[in-house]
Amino acid sequence: MVRVLPLIVLLSAWWLVVRLKVWPEVFVPDPRDVWTSLLDSERTHDGQIGLSGYYLHEHLWASLRRILVGVSLAIVFGTALGLALATIRPLRLVVEPYVNFIRSLPPLAYFSLLIIWFGIEDQSKIWLLFLAAFPPVALSVLSGVRGIRQERIDAIRSLGANRLQVVRHVVLPATLPELFTGVRLAIGFAWTTIVAAETIDGIPGIGGLAWSTKKFQQTDVAVLCIIVIGLSAIALDQLVKWLERTVVPWRGKA
Amino acid sequence: MEGALRVESARSPAGSPGAPSRVTLQAVAHRYLARQGEVAALGRTDLQVNTGEFVTLVGPSGCGKSTLLNLIAGFLVPTEGEVLVDGEVVTGPSPDRGVVFQQANLYPWMSVRDNVALGPRLRGVGKAERRTAADELLALVGLEEFGNARPYELSGGMQQRCQIARVLANDPDVLLLDEPFGALDAITREHLQMQLHRIWLRSRKTAVFITHSVEEAVFLGTRVIVMGARPGRIVFDERPPFRPEARTPELRATPAFVAWRERVSAVLRGT
Ligand SMILES: Nc1ncnc2c1ncn2[C@@H]1O[C@H](COP(=O)(O)OP(=O)(O)OP(=O)(O)O)[C@@H](O)[C@H]1O
Ligand SMILES: [Mg+2]
Repeated sequence: MVRVLPLIVLLSAWWLVVRLKVWPEVFVPDPRDVWTSLLDSERTHDGQIGLSGYYLHEHLWASLRRILVGVSLAIVFGTALGLALATIRPLRLVVEPYVNFIRSLPPLAYFSLLIIWFGIEDQSKIWLLFLAAFPPVALSVLSGVRGIRQERIDAIRSLGANRLQVVRHVVLPATLPELFTGVRLAIGFAWTTIVAAETIDGIPGIGGLAWSTKKFQQTDVAVLCIIVIGLSAIALDQLVKWLERTVVPWRGKA
Repeated sequence: MEGALRVESARSPAGSPGAPSRVTLQAVAHRYLARQGEVAALGRTDLQVNTGEFVTLVGPSGCGKSTLLNLIAGFLVPTEGEVLVDGEVVTGPSPDRGVVFQQANLYPWMSVRDNVALGPRLRGVGKAERRTAADELLALVGLEEFGNARPYELSGGMQQRCQIARVLANDPDVLLLDEPFGALDAITREHLQMQLHRIWLRSRKTAVFITHSVEEAVFLGTRVIVMGARPGRIVFDERPPFRPEARTPELRATPAFVAWRERVSAVLRGT
């Protein structure tokens, strides 16, 4: 009950605003129009397929796929880089400032470059998502490794572990909780970047769809996209949280 | 054990004749580089621990006990002198020197059994074999029912027993224990002291055991060393006259034991 309360309050306020015609309908769409565009988005209507030529789930999947590919690459390279930065001091001194630099840039700042280098198709979008997602992964892994208590390392070394075994049996598992934190941040950044990534040649794509609505002032579709993006982002985050609880059952306990 | 009742505190008692020195500190000193400059943690120290001796080490907080132990473990390199184990200079940690930490340091991503089997696993011992070995050791420390549990599901005392089992799985020549029972309640503590003592009776492994409890030191030690502070140095080094087999809970109440305990306490107060 408490969980649906915000929803009820929002919907009532929305409905009231539309009913009292506080603003014209191109500014605030009728909830029923949003509902209709949701229904339209999954069927062929007036000879049109869904919205902008694709069904809603195709838009969503196109974006999800880009996010998953970009974030997966970020996890692989970010983890490797984080480990390298944590263990090779000279590398950290030289490279860490750049990782921080990339992290602090708004992704749109370098999108033109990526388009010039990789074209307007999927490759530049995935690069953009990757660049937005890998700094938090790398920096989380770095801080995870550096936060390992020396005694944890000493204990396994006195059990006979060589360097590689220390990494495999202690450093990697001990860093898993931080890695998950990094991955959740990375997915968050990927979502916030997806609309930017899909501003150019972004159809199908939920961000591209959202961006396209400005042309014909389709406020109802814009609101639909916002709701879908928000709910998908929350669902994906819950999935990662669930994965974390299964993979890192000791988090917060040891 | 002749000479063990000497009242004078001797700096360096003669070992049992003929017993080879297992652990030797040759003019070892250690300083830490801290932000405020150098900290002389351990003054120049000579020490010989013979094979089969159970040395207990007491001293005020910060006097360099852990430093001494970490030097023997090979976690630290002495700034002066050399640490030798079986005649070889220590340059780093080795599975021949098992270390039991005050904080249990078990790995929460492994089951209790896998923690105990870790040493053999690192050596490449096969799965079935190391599992059997781990289960035997878990039974030895009374944890046979907890092999599948995770370390954080055990109590503090159980974690320490698990840690001891993990170290024993490597069958090390030397056991190094840094206040392993420091965080436990009195009853658990006495229980684990007996358990450790029985394990030691059977294996007669060379051990260096740090504690804050004089009672624990006198009860477990075949040799008791008291350290003083700033810089850390040995101020008392003697062998209590109690036969290992006679170390039962009843011993703690005997006048001889109490007298010995009080003597060591007096030395400790004087540091
Ligand atoms: N890593 C370090 N860096 C700087 N100084 C240190 C370090 N470790 C210990 N010291 C200093 O060295 C001295 C001896 O420390 P050590 O840990 O050996 O004492 P201890 O006898 O084990 O104390 P406790 O009984 O409290 O465990 C202390 O004064 C401490 O401040
Ligand atoms: Mg200490």
